[in-house]
Amino acid sequence: MSFRGVSFSGVSKRYRGRRRAVLTDVTLHVRSGEVVSLHGANGSGKSTLLRMMAGLSTPSSGVISGRPEIIGYVPDRFPPGERLSATEYLAHMGRIRGLSTAAVRARAAELLDRLALVGGAHVPLRTLSKGNAQKVTLAQALLVPPELLVLDEPWSGLDASAHQVLGEVIAETAATGGAVVFTDHRESIGQTHATTGYALVDGRLSAAAAASVVSVTIEVPAADYDGLLIQARDRGWRVRR
Amino acid sequence: MIALIRYGVATFLHSQRYLAPVVLFLGALAIAALNDGGPLLPLYAVISGALFVATSWITVAQLNAEDPVHRAVTIVHAGRSVKVLLAGVCVALLAGFGLVLVGLLGPLLMGHHKVSPADLLLGLAALSTATFTGTAVGLICSRLVIRRPGYSFAVALVGVLSLLLVKGIPPVNAMIRGLSEGLPDIAGLLGYLALSAVLLVTAAVLAQAAVTSRD
Repeated sequence: MSFRGVSFSGVSKRYRGRRRAVLTDVTLHVRSGEVVSLHGANGSGKSTLLRMMAGLSTPSSGVISGRPEIIGYVPDRFPPGERLSATEYLAHMGRIRGLSTAAVRARAAELLDRLALVGGAHVPLRTLSKGNAQKVTLAQALLVPPELLVLDEPWSGLDASAHQVLGEVIAETAATGGAVVFTDHRESIGQTHATTGYALVDGRLSAAAAASVVSVTIEVPAADYDGLLIQARDRGWRVRR
Repeated sequence: MIALIRYGVATFLHSQRYLAPVVLFLGALAIAALNDGGPLLPLYAVISGALFVATSWITVAQLNAEDPVHRAVTIVHAGRSVKVLLAGVCVALLAGFGLVLVGLLGPLLMGHHKVSPADLLLGLAALSTATFTGTAVGLICSRLVIRRPGYSFAVALVGVLSLLLVKGIPPVNAMIRGLSEGLPDIAGLLGYLALSAVLLVTAAVLAQAAVTSRD
């Protein structure tokens, strides 16, 4: 693999017609063999950063360099409405990549088997549950082993065994010289799988200070607990009851 | 590119959004051409008008059939967003030219006409002009350019009706008028065909510019 790594230098993004910048002066190097986690609250700019990694969005200012040819992109949601079956959809995506129909069918069957797609590889995608649709989304990104694997909240909706497979896939991609970037709004998952962690707050990137965790005990009325738990998790805080 | 077109055709066929415009076109064709025994050129004028409406609708339906998130995944596989746009235009044109064939040969099967090669060639030019222009309007009214469905529908309605009905506007209205008066002005028709092709290319460039400026 000739892939060395992806560099963002001074990247900012402001969508047309919006006053607020989504990303401000982001400088980030993702080297080959590295697994990077990004965590931040909803709306902190994580998805925009990943879309830039995948080449779907261009920066308003700053430079992105070193993006490899083979990128696997897993969006945060796989919208319903696709009437093709998982096998047909994957076959189309593989052919667009340049694989032969036979090669892509074999590879898709292997991936769906490994991810344990329940509910059938031959039913329309829109009838699949969220977790099973997420498995198809993951499979399409792995049809050709990617040099850069970009995952937007990949853990949401996946069952426990698929969690494990996803962890293995991330490790394999890094071990073969690829790089992995993923987001999650829970810091704990990032620390399990990532070699490097970053936090995004209001579009600004900072190294996640894994070592400087502060434990705070808060007593709250039982009635407020659920709401506070959700808020705390959205901010990437770990909660122990 | 062939794989992208194949995927576009599959998505479009599965979405079944082509049904309404195709039925509209076939209905208009049947009304105009069934048991007709008059001159062919005025008939092709009417069919071109219906085809223009149908192809603009088909193009919007085709380009909107794929969800933006699916489209993003497709772009990552294809490498560049312009390839995905071009494939979409190709699929719309494939559907459009399928209807061109139906519109060209349908009258010969449904009515009784004296056919000359010149009639068929002029008819082909007229139907192709309608298809190119309809595809161009569809591109501009698709989600790629106009995000909000309400605005998109309003712009499509105004665009299609004005190009179809405002007296003397090239290429569609002017061409239909020329043909229905039975004056086969070959140079004029080829001029409208060329203009419609230019409109299609311009619309594709504008649509791609809209896509990249938004991302």
